[in-house]
Amino acid sequence: MARAKKRGMSEVAKKEERLALLMLLPSFFVIVVIAIYPLFTVFRDSLTNKIFASNQPVEFVGLSNYAQLLSVTIKELPPVIDETTGQQAIDDKSGEPVYERAITVLPREPQRFREVSQFSLLGKRYVIGATERDFIRAIVDTLIFTVVSVVLETLLGLIIALVVNSNFRGRGFMRASMLVPWAIITVVSARMWQWMLGPTRTGLVNVVLQIVGIGDGQIAFLRMSEYQLPAIIAVDVWKTTPFMALLLLAGLQLIPNDLYKAAAVDGANKVRQFFAITLPLLRPAIAVALVFRTLDALRVFDVFQVMLSRTRYSMASFAQDQLIQYQNAGISSAASVFIFLLIFVFALLYIRMLGVEAE
Amino acid sequence: MGKKFLVWCLVAVLVVGFAVPVAYAQEGEGEPVTLRLLSGAVGQELELTKAAAARYMAANPNITVEVFDTPDAVQDRLGVYLQYFETKSSEADLYQIDVIWPGDLAEHLIDLYQYEGAQEQAAENFPAIIENNTVGGKLVGMPWFTDAGLLYYRTDLLKKYGYDAPPGTWAELEEMAMKIQDGERAAGNEDFWGYVWQGNAYEGLTCDALEWIDSSGGGTIISPDKVITINNTNAVAAVDRAAAWVGKISPAGVTGFQEEDARNMWQAGNAAFMRNWPYCYSLGNADDSVVKGKFDVAPLPAGAEGGHGAATLGGWQVAVSKYSKNPEEAAKLALFMTSAGEQKTRAIEGSFNPTIMFLYNDAEVCDASPFMCKLYDVFTGAVARPSTATAPKYNEVSTAFFQAVHSVLTGDNDGQTALEELELDLAGITGFETGAPTME
Repeated sequence: MARAKKRGMSEVAKKEERLALLMLLPSFFVIVVIAIYPLFTVFRDSLTNKIFASNQPVEFVGLSNYAQLLSVTIKELPPVIDETTGQQAIDDKSGEPVYERAITVLPREPQRFREVSQFSLLGKRYVIGATERDFIRAIVDTLIFTVVSVVLETLLGLIIALVVNSNFRGRGFMRASMLVPWAIITVVSARMWQWMLGPTRTGLVNVVLQIVGIGDGQIAFLRMSEYQLPAIIAVDVWKTTPFMALLLLAGLQLIPNDLYKAAAVDGANKVRQFFAITLPLLRPAIAVALVFRTLDALRVFDVFQVMLSRTRYSMASFAQDQLIQYQNAGISSAASVFIFLLIFVFALLYIRMLGVEAE
Repeated sequence: MGKKFLVWCLVAVLVVGFAVPVAYAQEGEGEPVTLRLLSGAVGQELELTKAAAARYMAANPNITVEVFDTPDAVQDRLGVYLQYFETKSSEADLYQIDVIWPGDLAEHLIDLYQYEGAQEQAAENFPAIIENNTVGGKLVGMPWFTDAGLLYYRTDLLKKYGYDAPPGTWAELEEMAMKIQDGERAAGNEDFWGYVWQGNAYEGLTCDALEWIDSSGGGTIISPDKVITINNTNAVAAVDRAAAWVGKISPAGVTGFQEEDARNMWQAGNAAFMRNWPYCYSLGNADDSVVKGKFDVAPLPAGAEGGHGAATLGGWQVAVSKYSKNPEEAAKLALFMTSAGEQKTRAIEGSFNPTIMFLYNDAEVCDASPFMCKLYDVFTGAVARPSTATAPKYNEVSTAFFQAVHSVLTGDNDGQTALEELELDLAGITGFETGAPTME
């Protein structure tokens, strides 16, 4: 054990070890204050019914906050039978079969379940209900956002890194200027994009699309459900691709040029070289970039908060909204703990999948 | 031995080095006094508040007043305030609070009645507002200005298209807006829209929607005697009617508009009608405004012939935080900012409606903003949001309401389903009974 080994260490080494521990004390103290203590208070608050900015007494409620956040149910929607024909009624306007409304089927005690979405399976129609509908939708939206934005950012980042890695005039300038989107503070660029995505012809995107022939200049990107996520993802890809490109560029520069020369001599074309040499050797850099971006994307807050405000939430902006607008510190803390655990799971998965070894 | 001693000193210095600056960051007491006021910054608010603060500082040389601006959106502003209250911070002394907040925030505010001159000044104000601001016998906010939703209309365009009066019903407004919009578009202004209002999912939508519903006989969401009245046919019809405006006489993006977005469109001359608060009057007549001299204000339309339009009661008060280090000086400043002289200046320079009754008979006020005296009844008869009946859960109630209405405006839901679900939501939040709205 360590002690036995230490007896074999010299006096000097032991002294240095003690010195090292003492030097670490202030940093450890800082970490406890800044990280461990707040984390602990969030865990503790998630088990209570604390009200933010109020002097009401705090009670321990166990896991009921988590139950409220994550309760989901699936109920079947019975078809509406047309009395005259004895068959299922058909809606006149849309031609679709008519089912009972979800509000009549979803349970109301002890908490009301709200409709999240409907789906059809094997000829029957089902509705998914949740007690905290906004949070369930936030989880889905955040996951979609994460997957799509990370895939796009990695692909585009790789392309940009490959281009900027090659030798051409103005390469230094290109490398510097490609970082500009990443350098602008997210809140500022989100506000900028909010103005550009403005719903009337005061918005640049609307004007450009109208000139090109798409739309009439009145598309409300940030308020129509089908356009909201694509708009947010586009903004985030614009902002973060340079970061990915930078990380991948660093990885590319570590690949020795001789390998390419040798491959060319052996008769491999560029495509073959890419898949056989570049990609495998780039794997650690891709792994690092993916881990960074996925964990960041799961915690996305600013773009949702600034551009969509309270019409659509990400997990983090939902937690903030619960805390500030509803003063519900218990639910907000439970949501934060959920985000924490989700990110923890993703981090573990990545480290396993990508075979990153600890030395 | 010496080395170890030095190491311990180093550790102590590093630890203490964090603690000491934090301790000294707090303000010590004593003359001179600094007071911090958190003020709104919509339109001209901030400049007027700073000018008032300058006047107070000139008269009281030992007091320094710092005015800070806060987010425009009402709920974001509440978020900032709550963060101060959560930490019981003495960093801010005076807060500009909304007419719907006295119930929720009373536990953090001082009773102004305990300070000299407050009783007399309160008596000069509209009794309804003073009552709204009194929680458990404590006056937690001195009224600063009152607000009610108004219909702004373009006098030149009404004349051009052959109308001699502003619309009296929503149906008339739709017809007039459509005709003017078609005409102006044909004349070349493709950015012109008939009617702009506030349709974003925020407290302002609660105000607009309450006006549609109350003017159509649909009640006031929750009645003052704690009955949930929102789910009725008139209310459903009112919300569905507003949803039909989106994309037709109002831009599709009106579902993202707040006060300043609507005002920007209006002031650029791109709207025939606008629903907004009185502060847009003086801004609209400023030299850089395209619509200077070309508009007037009227009460909002009624649901049907012979009915009455509804205007949501707004307005802001000045409150003093219980955690302030100088409550007496802060209370004096609050009473000064809301005094008759200051309210008159605000009325003339910024068209902010006074809360002091005798100012509505003042010739100078009526000259600068004729609509204030002309529409006196609109301001005294404004419909209040159910903040008192639902305190301390008004925020949740309002959020449920505006999210339901917003889902109808964006087409995600129809009026019937949305209001039915809203009724269930409100019953869950408040525990009140449901019932029919009383006819007035």
